[in-house]
Amino acid sequence: MMVRNLIWIAVMMFGLARARAAHTEAQLLLSAETAKPGDTVWAGVDLKMEPGWHTYWKNPGEAGQATEIKWQLPPGVTAGEIQWPLPAKLPPAEVTTYGYENEVVLLVPLTLASNLPAGALNLTAKVAWLECNESCIPASANVQAPLNIGGETKNSPEAATIELWKAKTPQTSQVSYQAWWEKPADGDTRPLIIGNEQPMDDAKNIRYDSVDFFPDASDTYEIQPATEIISAFSADFRLRKSVKKFSGDWPKDLSGVLVFQDGALRTGVEVEFPIADKAPGGGNISATSDVPAPPAQSLWRMLIFAFIGGLILNIMPCVLPVIALKILGFVSEAKSEPRRVRNLGLIYAFGVLLSFLTLAAVVIGVKAAGHHAGWGMQFGSPVFIVCLVTLVTLVALNLFGVFEVTLGGRALDTAGELASKHGAPGAFFNGVLATVLATPCTAPFLGAALGFAFAQSAAVIVLIFLTVGLGLASPYILLSWNPAWLKFLPKPGAWMEKFKIAMGFPMLATVVWLFNVAASSYGKNVLWLGIFLVMVAFAAWIFGGFFQRGRQRKGVALALVFVLLATGYAFALEKELDWRNAMPDTSNTTGSLKESADGIDWRPWSPAAVAAARAAGQLVLVDFTADWCLTCQVNKKTSLEIPSVRAKLKALNAVALLGDYTHFPDAITTELSRFNRAGVPLVLVYPKSAGAAALVLPEILTPGLVLDALDRAVQP
Amino acid sequence: MKKTIAILAAAVFTTAAFAVEIGQPAPDFTGTDINGKTVKLSDYKGKIVVIESYNSDCPFCHNHYASGAMQELQRDLAAKGVVWLLVDSVNTNNFSYRTPAQAQAEWAAEKIAATAWLDDHAGDIGHLYGVKTTPHCFVVAADGTLAYAGAIDNRPQPFGDPRTAKNYVRAAVDDLLAGKPVEVSQTKPYGCAVHYAD
Repeated sequence: MMVRNLIWIAVMMFGLARARAAHTEAQLLLSAETAKPGDTVWAGVDLKMEPGWHTYWKNPGEAGQATEIKWQLPPGVTAGEIQWPLPAKLPPAEVTTYGYENEVVLLVPLTLASNLPAGALNLTAKVAWLECNESCIPASANVQAPLNIGGETKNSPEAATIELWKAKTPQTSQVSYQAWWEKPADGDTRPLIIGNEQPMDDAKNIRYDSVDFFPDASDTYEIQPATEIISAFSADFRLRKSVKKFSGDWPKDLSGVLVFQDGALRTGVEVEFPIADKAPGGGNISATSDVPAPPAQSLWRMLIFAFIGGLILNIMPCVLPVIALKILGFVSEAKSEPRRVRNLGLIYAFGVLLSFLTLAAVVIGVKAAGHHAGWGMQFGSPVFIVCLVTLVTLVALNLFGVFEVTLGGRALDTAGELASKHGAPGAFFNGVLATVLATPCTAPFLGAALGFAFAQSAAVIVLIFLTVGLGLASPYILLSWNPAWLKFLPKPGAWMEKFKIAMGFPMLATVVWLFNVAASSYGKNVLWLGIFLVMVAFAAWIFGGFFQRGRQRKGVALALVFVLLATGYAFALEKELDWRNAMPDTSNTTGSLKESADGIDWRPWSPAAVAAARAAGQLVLVDFTADWCLTCQVNKKTSLEIPSVRAKLKALNAVALLGDYTHFPDAITTELSRFNRAGVPLVLVYPKSAGAAALVLPEILTPGLVLDALDRAVQP
Repeated sequence: MKKTIAILAAAVFTTAAFAVEIGQPAPDFTGTDINGKTVKLSDYKGKIVVIESYNSDCPFCHNHYASGAMQELQRDLAAKGVVWLLVDSVNTNNFSYRTPAQAQAEWAAEKIAATAWLDDHAGDIGHLYGVKTTPHCFVVAADGTLAYAGAIDNRPQPFGDPRTAKNYVRAAVDDLLAGKPVEVSQTKPYGCAVHYAD
């Protein structure tokens, strides 16, 4: 022990007396030999470390200590703040620090007073640092350099070195950045997302493979060293950092250095910006550079997105037939009963909002139960699909005029009373149906709003869902409240009957599509669902033709209807189909999912498959889709399974992976949430270069977007 | 670089999952002290326990012991019935590793006044508690919950007299003994990185 103490004393003495400590040599460089009064001369404290030894950045990280410079300057010379070159992240992983290996020159601007007399000056400083390898040694050195004050500036031989190290310091930022809290705190840690605010287009010459963030030090919290790159491509990047709070409030601002790595080249920018409480709009990367600047309040922006998304849902194929029926309703009643039209519009809106509230409650419930919630998740339940397909079949038959929906009884007495009673439940029901059918369609803006909502508190989920509902219902509320606009609708006439029948056909198309979704849960046995629907249709005809419109033996007709329905249910659904116990088709986990002979050779998605393809240096196209997701099917037909994309994939020797979300596998829910999405569609392109992160395509695809993304992904 | 980031991310997210939290029960551990005796945290249930990560070669720790401040604190707290455990997580390949014999000699020479010195060269206790530096201190209340985690004091220097600094461990123990809530329950630890096994 005595020996160790002696070694300590020797080391300490060494450090104080000489410019060379145990493992680091310190020197003072100046950019000029002679300078004029009023000039700024750059000083560089040059630390040369032995291999394996390192010193620390202004924020040393989880351990260590920053280098300190104490100047002893003659009067008239003032030292500014240290300009620290970009640090490296030093191992080990368990205790990560920020610092420098081999060599670093810490730059300090020295300002000369304008009234400084001419002469020779000696500039001295005491530099103290902690050098570590397998052990740590605190060391210090007195360094000095001469400077002449004269009539003109004369560069020193070290000026070139100083310029070299200036280039390694952070530059001022050309682009603005932003950060927000991803989630509320979990104990004393909380995740933070950092990204750019406007697109960093190629004109700004920031190319990079990876990004990292080095925070400034703080007493009350620590931004932990691990960085998760969510996405990184030239236009956009997103990083996730974890913040640990020691005391006080969560930080409101973020300051530090963003470092961009492009091969061996590193550039950095010094940044300082506020941390927002919620994410701003659009977690997606757009394939074009025209991303509008986001407004200040992120919740407000999400609500606006939710409203617009709801509005756009009106023209989505899932919802359009129901909406067409609404128009019919307005047309028939517009002239005569504007007041009732207004009320019906409100009841329709109420139906929509109540349905969205129910959806929100289901999402909150599912999340509270610890499971993942996805948009359109009810479509994963085969029972739900069977009920819905039966319902839609009945609606189609109703439109064809096979039977009527009435309440019967005393309401038949007054035509007006009948009409209003007929109208109100109908309007409500239409509202509910519109909502139910809307869920498999995600409109633009809706994806961002929902992705945001699903990660938030129950109150925010309810708020966003209701806003989407408001957007969906708003055209009809507006129409019903502005009788003047109703004059733009066509006048009632015989065409209305034909229109009503015609709307039955899109309903039939919906039946076929739902049937297809059911097929993935029931396999070949879905035949029995078809048989059941035929029996239901037959029962509907008997009901309409013999019970409602019939004059005799109505009781027999009604009995027959019930017998048919009961038989159909018991035999077809319960026995043959075993409808409540569906078996999802999970047999194909490695083989090809090709849809046709010359279609894209899709393979089942898995993180391992992605990793294997990227390790082989291949470009990877990933399509997360579901049978019930209409937007996904449209995307596939228009922008993926087309000759130009197929050819390009072949030419680029790309790997195509299909992630089937029809039955909500957990692995895919997790992957979707990594990209801040609540549901499908999600299409990604992983570039060829191994480190680069994925390109996230927008929800509605065009062939141009896909081809453009594939082109970008092959760039080195 | 990317692999490093991935490993770093994995390491942090795994350690974060096991990291201790103020107010939560301090995880129990079993260690062997330098005399070969088995020591468990749960042995001391009902007493306040101070855990200090130790490496006398780290200049920060060295200063605390060379000035006598650490031993004085250990004696003061022992007199109040506080248990003090040194946890030495240095791996066997490192220059600072002490064999049990060397550790016993150091214990005597430095006049260490702690309850026990646990040889954690495998790093199990260190990883369990998310120990980053030496000295990194933890105070466990008598009911087993973690009352303090972080730096030993507010003076991260490898020289000078630590007695002049505000000692967070002493303050936390005093608060616990007085039945008051611990005023400063968490700070950023300072010191040298712990030399864990690879």
